[in-house]
Amino acid sequence: MNIRKVAEIAGVSVATISRVLNHPEQVLPETRERVLAVMREQDYTPNWFARGLNLGKTNTISLLVPSIESGLHQSIISGIETVARNKGYAVFFCDTHGDAQIEYDYLKMAETRRIDGVILICSRLGEQQLLPLREKRLLPCVHIGKNRIVGCETLCYIDFDEGAYRLMRHLLSLGHQRFHLLLDPLQESEAAQIRSGMRRALADQGLPTDSFSESFSDNSVRGGYLAAQKIMQKGSLPHALVTSGHEQAFGVIKAAQDEGLDIPARLALASLTDSPVCPIVTPPLTGLELPATKLGMAAARMLFDRIEDEELDLNVPQEMVLQPKLKIRRSCGNRKYIYELFD
Amino acid sequence: MSKAIEFMGMQLKNPILVGAGPWSRNGEAMQRSIDAGAAAVCTKTITLEATPRVCPRLYLDGDSLFNTTLHSELHLEQWESELETLKKGDCKLICSIWGSSPSELSYLATRVERMGADAIEISISAPVGSRNQYIYSHSPDIRGFVEAAVKAVQIPVMVKLSYEAAASPEFLSAIADAGAAGVSAIDAMRGLSGIDIETCRARMPAYGGYTGKHIHAIALAVTASLRQYTPMQICSVGGIGSYEDVLEFLMLGATCVQLASAIQLHGHGVISRILSDLDAWLPAHGYSSAGDVCGAALKTLVPFEDINPRPLRAALQSACREDCGLCIEGCLYDAINRGADGEIALDSSRCAGCGFCAARCPKHRFSLEWA
Repeated sequence: MNIRKVAEIAGVSVATISRVLNHPEQVLPETRERVLAVMREQDYTPNWFARGLNLGKTNTISLLVPSIESGLHQSIISGIETVARNKGYAVFFCDTHGDAQIEYDYLKMAETRRIDGVILICSRLGEQQLLPLREKRLLPCVHIGKNRIVGCETLCYIDFDEGAYRLMRHLLSLGHQRFHLLLDPLQESEAAQIRSGMRRALADQGLPTDSFSESFSDNSVRGGYLAAQKIMQKGSLPHALVTSGHEQAFGVIKAAQDEGLDIPARLALASLTDSPVCPIVTPPLTGLELPATKLGMAAARMLFDRIEDEELDLNVPQEMVLQPKLKIRRSCGNRKYIYELFD
Repeated sequence: MSKAIEFMGMQLKNPILVGAGPWSRNGEAMQRSIDAGAAAVCTKTITLEATPRVCPRLYLDGDSLFNTTLHSELHLEQWESELETLKKGDCKLICSIWGSSPSELSYLATRVERMGADAIEISISAPVGSRNQYIYSHSPDIRGFVEAAVKAVQIPVMVKLSYEAAASPEFLSAIADAGAAGVSAIDAMRGLSGIDIETCRARMPAYGGYTGKHIHAIALAVTASLRQYTPMQICSVGGIGSYEDVLEFLMLGATCVQLASAIQLHGHGVISRILSDLDAWLPAHGYSSAGDVCGAALKTLVPFEDINPRPLRAALQSACREDCGLCIEGCLYDAINRGADGEIALDSSRCAGCGFCAARCPKHRFSLEWA
């Protein structure tokens, strides 16, 4: 007897059985009674139930964020919170300040506080650091980021490689050939994907794949401002500057204004993120819209699948990739209105 | 007489399905389609992230319908409880899903299968919004997308096609190779309801889906060509509002059809009306089952190059003194004139047999005859 058989006999979906086991209060009483009756008749007890795992459930998950102030992280958090609320879970927020030790301390805390599962955003835990245990088993865990962490098999992330590729294709189509990439030192894993996407686009055009220089700055307006000043002082400007965040790009716009440098006539500018402010700055900033809220929702769902549906022996992907979307505006030299409607 | 058919391995009690759209926005709305007798109902398109509604989102210009609605505004978890309340009976549940990557689609597919879906429809080409361009123009991509869903579940998967997607044999074979069991076509066309020339403003703020009886002719042609291009089963969509429309699609090779705009215009009652009309028509015309009609008209279609160039000329069946003059206006060969006595006169020596007068005359006074 398994959960699918029970569903078949009770004439309900597998999802309903899962809800009866995990959130009986959310199921219509008559449906719940029918399911429970079938389970009694068939003498069915879920494994995790038998092990008493449900007894210690706190309906709380931990969320480890490198920087709670980042706009991108806020959207991810909002997505996680939406699904958690729908499922009746509370979220315990932990700002790790991008520090692996703080991250590890918070994970230990998750263990002692009997947290049901953990979502890590852009974890800096190395491959040798093991996640803590829950009931002698690994704590259910989802990582939002592409790199693997020991003990955390479930990943979901945005495809920055493809995003950077599409952005570069746009820049190349406008005739730009020499690029500068302004990175965020906290986003190592993303930076590798971004470089790979840019190289792919350059190779497609038959251009040398090292046609771009790189520098790092804080992912902030000030960081972008200072980085732009440094680039402008060097004398030979790149054709296009790509920033890893829109706040850096706003700093670049301010620095260019102060220098009397015309964007996009003298320097094209694009960001690998997007925000509602991007269309209202001058010039409107071309950027990549990241499905951050969706990413948070996906991560939360994958975590709840792990926590609640062990019985199903789920054939779900351990890795989910979401695609960003290029928002073409005016900051790279595009003058055709139509491209702002299509991509 | 039986209206039952087999579609993608599912036994359907009749060929009438309800397509994805606002009439399937939640369990309650879907229940009305089920109660009206639909053989299967599709949910509004379910995604990982609910899409907020815009107001207004429906536009009407004469008989033309436009919408700026995209995906469902309900979260997956909400769909879980909506579908739990559904009393399906012998109706099948099809979940429409959309995702930006293969892994996203495969996740959604497993989730809706667990929610009790009998089949899945992948929405790849909604004309609203601009997120689909990349996928539906790239065959290698589409194969990965469809395959991800097919491999994740035990239930059949079909792909909803835009007009453009349905016109590409390579695209169709990529879908078939990926393991899809059927296709539904066509999705809404991309349209704009018009421009207010006085204020110089578009009547809609973005492209919308153009649906209703004006896309019926396009959907008919797509059905016939799909039947040539692919062995997959076809579920036709596009301006279907009557039993005659349903029969036309079946006769061109569709296994079943989806109702959509007709429910928006006439309510869920249109479903039961079409079903009882079919009940009367099929036996009265000697058909013992709905399946017998399938593809029956295809043999009357030939490639343009194979049309026999019969030498025909227009002939006036009876004297006509009507004021309308439609035949005169429309004759580019100057073969039709009005005599001094006001009577319509036809000069057969000038007639080139185009057939326009015969098609246009409201009194049906012209016919085409051997020259």
